[in-house]
Amino acid sequence: MTPHPKSDETLGPLAADLASAALALARRFASGATLWCWSPDASEHAQHVAVEFVHPVIVGKRALPAVAVTAGDSEALPILRSLVRAGDVLLVVAADAEDDRVTAVLRRAASWGAATIWIGAGVRPGDGDADHVLWLDGDVGLAPHDGRFVLAYHLLWELAHVCFEHPGLVREQVAADAPVCTTCADEGRLAEVVDVGTTTTATVRTAAGVEEIDTTLVGPVTPGDLVLVHAGTALTIVDEGR
Amino acid sequence: MTDFLYPFIEGDERDASALLTDLANSAEAKATQSSALRATTLTDSAAAIAAAAAAMAERFAAGGQLFVFGNGGSATDAAGAAALFVRPPSGHPLPARSLAADEAVLTALGNDVGFDLVFSRQLIAFAGPTDIALGLSTSGSSENLLVAFGEAHRHGVLTVGLAGFDGGRMGASSDIDHCIVVRADSVHRIQETQAAVVVALWEGVHGHRP
Repeated sequence: MTPHPKSDETLGPLAADLASAALALARRFASGATLWCWSPDASEHAQHVAVEFVHPVIVGKRALPAVAVTAGDSEALPILRSLVRAGDVLLVVAADAEDDRVTAVLRRAASWGAATIWIGAGVRPGDGDADHVLWLDGDVGLAPHDGRFVLAYHLLWELAHVCFEHPGLVREQVAADAPVCTTCADEGRLAEVVDVGTTTTATVRTAAGVEEIDTTLVGPVTPGDLVLVHAGTALTIVDEGR
Repeated sequence: MTDFLYPFIEGDERDASALLTDLANSAEAKATQSSALRATTLTDSAAAIAAAAAAMAERFAAGGQLFVFGNGGSATDAAGAAALFVRPPSGHPLPARSLAADEAVLTALGNDVGFDLVFSRQLIAFAGPTDIALGLSTSGSSENLLVAFGEAHRHGVLTVGLAGFDGGRMGASSDIDHCIVVRADSVHRIQETQAAVVVALWEGVHGHRP
């Protein structure tokens, strides 16, 4: 038999990661966010997360807007693109840190102004791949099945509801947590190309909305490309290594 | 008013660091409870799990298939259980599916004959004496599961139940051949351990040579 985790195991750094993810999630909910849940290979996890928030098991806890998107990998991106709004949260449950389908969706969600949470196991993704990386130890193949993923999102739900008992903390920093860029003067804002105009212009979507930009510096772009925008100009096309 | 007793209750709290520490400690404590419950359950129910797995292996060997069902979070856990058997991370696939997967069937039955019959009517249509019905409930008392187990039992289907709390009505049902009870009073902790029991059943099925 596969050895099961022993009862003396600890969460380690995951405990603090869950705490900060729960507070960020509670703050977004307090500002009117919807939680979008996607699990490319195991949609039951996306559905389990959503039902936790929509229909809490503990009587008296508030119902919160959470939705599972059950589309497979190729259909999920266009569906999420049309559903996710600035200020929302996208939660992905997917084991593999090297999963290009997931990183492509997470990067774009960030450009739309959504906060991102990634629950998985095995080799940990880079810190920049999601705002909150909730990573589990142990066997990757069994993580979706043996209760470890379920534990992670149960704890996320439980801790988020604890945050609502601290209204000052949930409400207070909404402005700071809002999808406005504080670093664009240096680094530019992430944007997704929506439409191509002339040879030197394009329409892009950022956390702040849809805008026209100049693409002279980067050359031709295509819809779906991620670019860094500063002062109405595309500075570079993000290399996604695909 | 109560500010001197609960200085933060009026929403004046500003520093999140204390809350974040409390949250992390709470997560650690809950995870410890979860793994302790899992270890206890897998130990205390080892014989029951082995017997259920052996009976399931015989049905699979005879060409049977596995139908898994539950409500809400347990419906998603049922889908995960079916996925584990039919699309395993290792070993050969075994035929299994969730009875909540088809929204046409689920809503047709729920609308026309009532939600208590959404699983039993499907078992009447699909399941026979070589098959297995695996139902997951945290309360152990979901009406549609009990009706389904009764119908399955009458048709000679092997019935396996995963329940929580004190087993509820499932724990006392003579329609369930093998009932494994996760003895806890938190729905979340029960579900986490039920997932581990499903993995143990799956491992037991693959380890069994009828």
